[in-house]
Amino acid sequence: MKNLFLALCLLLISMPSFAQDELPNVDLKTMEGKNVVLKEATNKEGITVISLWATWCVPCLKELDAINEIYFEWQEEVNVELIAVSVDDSRTVKRVKSLVNGKDWDFSVLLDTNNDLKRALNASTIPLTILVKDNKIVFKHSGYNPGSELELFEKIMELSK
Amino acid sequence: MKKLLFGAIVLFNTCLINAQENGNFYGGLESNSQWYQTDEGINFIAPEDQFRANNYVTLNYNLGKFTAGLQYESYLPSALLGYAPVYDGGNDVATYYLNYKDNSLDITGGYFYEQFGSGLILRSWEDRQLGINNAFKGVNIKFKATEYLDFKAVFGRQRNGFEESSGTIQGLDADLSVSNALNIDNVDIQMGLSYVARNQDTEGNQALPSTVGAYGGRLDLIFNDFYVGAEAILKDPDAIVIEGQLASNKLYDGTALLVNAGYATKGLGINASFRRLENFSFYSDRFAEGNIYNQEVINYVPALTKQQDYMLTNIYVYNAQSRLIIETYDQRAGEVGAQFDLYYSFKKGTSLGGKYGTKLAFNFSYWGGLDAEYNIENKWYEAKFIGSGPQLFRDVNLEIKKTWSKKWSSVFTYQNVLIDKGVVQGGSFGKNTIYANIGVIEATRKFNKGKSARFVAQHLWTDQDRKNWVAGVFEYNFSSKLALYVADNWNYGGLDEIHYYSVGGSYSKGNARLGLNYGRQRGGLICIGGVCRFVPENTGLSANLTITF
Repeated sequence: MKNLFLALCLLLISMPSFAQDELPNVDLKTMEGKNVVLKEATNKEGITVISLWATWCVPCLKELDAINEIYFEWQEEVNVELIAVSVDDSRTVKRVKSLVNGKDWDFSVLLDTNNDLKRALNASTIPLTILVKDNKIVFKHSGYNPGSELELFEKIMELSK
Repeated sequence: MKKLLFGAIVLFNTCLINAQENGNFYGGLESNSQWYQTDEGINFIAPEDQFRANNYVTLNYNLGKFTAGLQYESYLPSALLGYAPVYDGGNDVATYYLNYKDNSLDITGGYFYEQFGSGLILRSWEDRQLGINNAFKGVNIKFKATEYLDFKAVFGRQRNGFEESSGTIQGLDADLSVSNALNIDNVDIQMGLSYVARNQDTEGNQALPSTVGAYGGRLDLIFNDFYVGAEAILKDPDAIVIEGQLASNKLYDGTALLVNAGYATKGLGINASFRRLENFSFYSDRFAEGNIYNQEVINYVPALTKQQDYMLTNIYVYNAQSRLIIETYDQRAGEVGAQFDLYYSFKKGTSLGGKYGTKLAFNFSYWGGLDAEYNIENKWYEAKFIGSGPQLFRDVNLEIKKTWSKKWSSVFTYQNVLIDKGVVQGGSFGKNTIYANIGVIEATRKFNKGKSARFVAQHLWTDQDRKNWVAGVFEYNFSSKLALYVADNWNYGGLDEIHYYSVGGSYSKGNARLGLNYGRQRGGLICIGGVCRFVPENTGLSANLTITF
């Protein structure tokens, strides 16, 4: 037992990092059904906001609608791109395209129909919003309250310095 | 064993230290617990083990192209009410995997989640609120042969609680982008073929097939702003099982057809789906057919209706009806129906759009049982393609979202619903129909510094079932971290005029979130992603903790 403990200690010491800082290497799909590697879809020069949402998740839609209202202002001030990743499964995924167009959103939307990204990020609830810089996760926030998009933007400004 | 483990860890350490690139650990904890309390007001008697908790800990390690992980689950002393009894008392490593992934190859050994096409033929997934985890244990290979051709293979057994199902599943799927392969630019054409088979010991019953296969094809076309897709599945003949017993030794084949079409352009989206299911139940153990906990289900057959967001719109919800039952009084052969969605944005600055725009969502769905003739003596039935079977569900939903100013926004929802009582409570179809109208007004007021308040007022009108309901929610967000709410659903038209009250709140900090609720839970179907489970009425204090790292 002592040996086992020692080995586990050694494991902890040799462990390089104990947090998810690397963006998971998962494949997503575009709304046209094309495969996309998430790491290749991110904003290389600046900050990428990745927001996990679904057509049936009311707070998610509120968050994305709220961001959409001020997205142009964000982009004028700083190099930021939003990727809204839908975790809708096959029951509702067909609704994504009509909803996104109907809502006239200006950011890109990808599909995580098999929930690979949702699982890799341990997102037990959505919305989950993460900020990514150089394909590293630098900030995570789950849930949405009216107004928290402003806090998110403060964080983006802080990180893009 | 300990020495072996020690050796393995040391070896692992050495590898870590020597490895050029350093990997990282990530994972999470989720704990959902409830302390049940006897409540005479709703005739709920707390179970003997009053405090129950479902806990999940996941840990993953990624190093370059390799990822390994495991999930520990415990349901002590029993799982929360309404979960499958196979989880009760479980306390063990439930899933683990090792994965290699490069640009063309993705191989997993251990437990994995996979989906072919829309999942109508095969899908394994996890939903902790629903108590579903039907991961396969075995080998999963995904191979990108070329830019336009992908293959997937699965081989293994499905998880059933902490044990394995008795059937072995094998599956193959190919996905071809025809337009890429043939360099067609103006139309996007995608097609797929799937095969899934279940092999199960017949235990000496000569009449049963040891292998039951399902064969599927799908085609999707996109032309400018229009799109259309179809998927069809044919399932080999298999015996019918009712509540764990063979109905007879006679075999019946099954079919499924899903058609989807839509139009999407800036500011407007339209989508329509049609689906027909005939005797389309597919479980990795034939004796699990129709179990109310959705255990060992191989495919994904969700109700194609709008997923409702409010307390009172969630009382009368539809559940897909795919089973064939001939011999008993509640005969049925499947379902057929359609759903239509429309999303529209009124432009900012127009009279209806106002300064901040107005968004409209409309949904209509109709689902009926298959129109079929049954002959009990000969164990025979014949179903029409559409016909005029019993009406099971119909609803019309209209939702208008409007932002009035920087501070005020609101949502108006109206639903008209018709549902067969057999769908809501189980039992035979076509006896009782419930008609209901539901109206919801929600308003949100933003204050400074992340503070906001939300009000929801709801009313349900019906002359059937439990008659009228009224409900309200008030929620206050002190910041993006702390929120509190009070809610009440009052069945004032019902016999006992029951109040289903609840109070609670949530606090989140960094990677952790804690939610606390106290109150009464209305019994009935809890549906997530169109798959439902029954929860009994209960009263108690519940806590939900999630931490990700």
